[in-house]
Amino acid sequence: MDRSVRRRRVVIASVMVVAVCLVGLQGANPARAAGVVTLNLYIGGDTNIFDLWKKAFLPAFTKRYPQYKANMVELLHDNGSEGIYAKILAAKRTGRTVDVDLWETTPGFLDQGIAEGLWVKLSPKLVSNVTKVPAPTLEAVDYYGLPYRGSSVVIGYNSQFIKNPPQTFDDLVAWIKANPGKFTYCDPNTCGSGTAFVTAAIYRYTSAEKFAAKAYDTKDEAAWAPGWKLLKELQPAMYNNGFHPNGNVAVLQLLAQQNIWMASVWSDMGLDWYSRGQLPKTMRFIQITPPLMGDDSRVMVPAGSAHLEGALTLLNWLLTPEAQTMVIDVVAGYPGIDWKYMPESVRQKFIDVAKAFAPWPNPKYLADIKRLWHEQVVGG
Amino acid sequence: MTESRRQGALGLALVLPPLCLLFFLVVVPAVTAVVETLAPGPGGSAGLTVARYAEVLSAKVIRTDIAFSVVVTLISVAAVFVLGYPLALYLRFSPGRLASLLAVVFTIPLFVPVVIASFAMITFLVNHGLVSTVLYRLGIETFPPLVYNATGIVLTEVWASLPFAVLILGAGLQAIDDSLIDSARDVGAGRVRTFATIILPLNAIPTRITLTLLFISVFGSFTIPYLVGGNAPQMLGVTMTNYLTQYLRRTDAVTMAVLAFVIAAAVGVVYVASVSRRERDV
Repeated sequence: MDRSVRRRRVVIASVMVVAVCLVGLQGANPARAAGVVTLNLYIGGDTNIFDLWKKAFLPAFTKRYPQYKANMVELLHDNGSEGIYAKILAAKRTGRTVDVDLWETTPGFLDQGIAEGLWVKLSPKLVSNVTKVPAPTLEAVDYYGLPYRGSSVVIGYNSQFIKNPPQTFDDLVAWIKANPGKFTYCDPNTCGSGTAFVTAAIYRYTSAEKFAAKAYDTKDEAAWAPGWKLLKELQPAMYNNGFHPNGNVAVLQLLAQQNIWMASVWSDMGLDWYSRGQLPKTMRFIQITPPLMGDDSRVMVPAGSAHLEGALTLLNWLLTPEAQTMVIDVVAGYPGIDWKYMPESVRQKFIDVAKAFAPWPNPKYLADIKRLWHEQVVGG
Repeated sequence: MTESRRQGALGLALVLPPLCLLFFLVVVPAVTAVVETLAPGPGGSAGLTVARYAEVLSAKVIRTDIAFSVVVTLISVAAVFVLGYPLALYLRFSPGRLASLLAVVFTIPLFVPVVIASFAMITFLVNHGLVSTVLYRLGIETFPPLVYNATGIVLTEVWASLPFAVLILGAGLQAIDDSLIDSARDVGAGRVRTFATIILPLNAIPTRITLTLLFISVFGSFTIPYLVGGNAPQMLGVTMTNYLTQYLRRTDAVTMAVLAFVIAAAVGVVYVASVSRRERDV
């Protein structure tokens, strides 16, 4: 073969390699339609939350603000969140913008990111509707996460089998022991409704406020011992000799198939399933005393968001009565804004449901509760 | 420039992209991870320490999970092998329609995403599922639960890995010359004898490769144990994910990852030895 041909081949191969590397470094640069900005939303949660964004919020938002389009990434049970966090952190540290414009995730990442200065601090100047949100829920996270909806864990029970539902946590424990195999909660690693039951057992012997506060000391976790003992005792009385399914949906399915008669469930998911006829007609939901945990779900906007203006416009729109009514209609959630801004009909409908709920432990205690549950209750 | 150097340059240019990928996405993070687990904590003295490993291994749950992962993996690999080898032999040595039909049918799991396979297995094996209904009809009313435990993981892993094993074992069997088998028969060797003295030894390297690759893929699997496994014990893939995302204990997760890597590497040695021997033989 001719030498020059060979040489040319080497040159072509090298050029291709360089080209491939350059493309790799650049990253895919999506072509944009003129004037239309695409917002990248990362939504962690269960399928009902994806539906809320995909089928209700985003169509309404893009209709109202046609200059925006939305690209939504679903993170089921928040799987993959570590990568998103790393991406935002890396962008911040290298001083670049990041293609995450809005992120709904677990409190742990919100908290870690506050220390790193990753999120936009909300103020009425940036998001005018933020004044409608009850101040304490914003102060809890120093104005870094926007509580756009709320819900709490309640006890779902099948009234066909249970005439007198438990009113207190102790009643509930007694009922579980008296009806072995008819109750369960999901693995706390996979869902909040399980974590709420586990935490209720811990709170039973100590104070909720202490572990919800920001201070963290592993020595205080000794106070959890009686809670672990109680949960361990309950194991043989759980469904299938101590089986805890993965995820909130799996628990609702067990209730739907009447494999179990009672479980801790999220108010929003339970009501939503019930209203769609996916649970027996005899299902009822109650809050016990002391109440199980509840939460305001938050979204954050990374300070390095590439489309900051669009992201803030979306945040502001989320706090309008239009969007807040969707929260109630689609996922049976509690509104993020004060009830007084909601339409009268909505306020009447929720008058009995919107009760106080227990605070979550701070993210570090929460992580330890999940780990110790695994060690002390199922792994031991 | 000599001919061979130019050849070398071309070769290098062509392998450079995968090499870059391997180096920056595998080697660098792996080395960083190992260094991270050996570094002393804040306030600790300089130098390297194995304190993190001692701490991780001191937790009974983690030790149980490691042992559980190894045992589940070994049982799955053994089951795949016991089921796969006869199938591979059958497909290699039995001409005919049934064999060619089976050759197509058994590859189906290769084309089913593992998430779907896992959910299918759950529906199939769960209480009130098909299997328990059939057993119940047959008069067997009490039997151990088939999902959300080790049994479920093994059954699903076997289902998902079988085609892969049969394909590699089959490729090895194809390479065995028919004349060798014919001559063994000519001198009076029976089926068992032919298998034990001709086929098994000649197919030893593909067998070893299959076993090691199976071990590593089952050992490192996440989706199947996450969906089909129980609350405890769990396989390492699930445990590591929990420590990373739920317990916010990154370093513990990394330490476990290094331990898992050591176990997989020990098995990988068998693979590398087998492959390089085959290269030499050829």
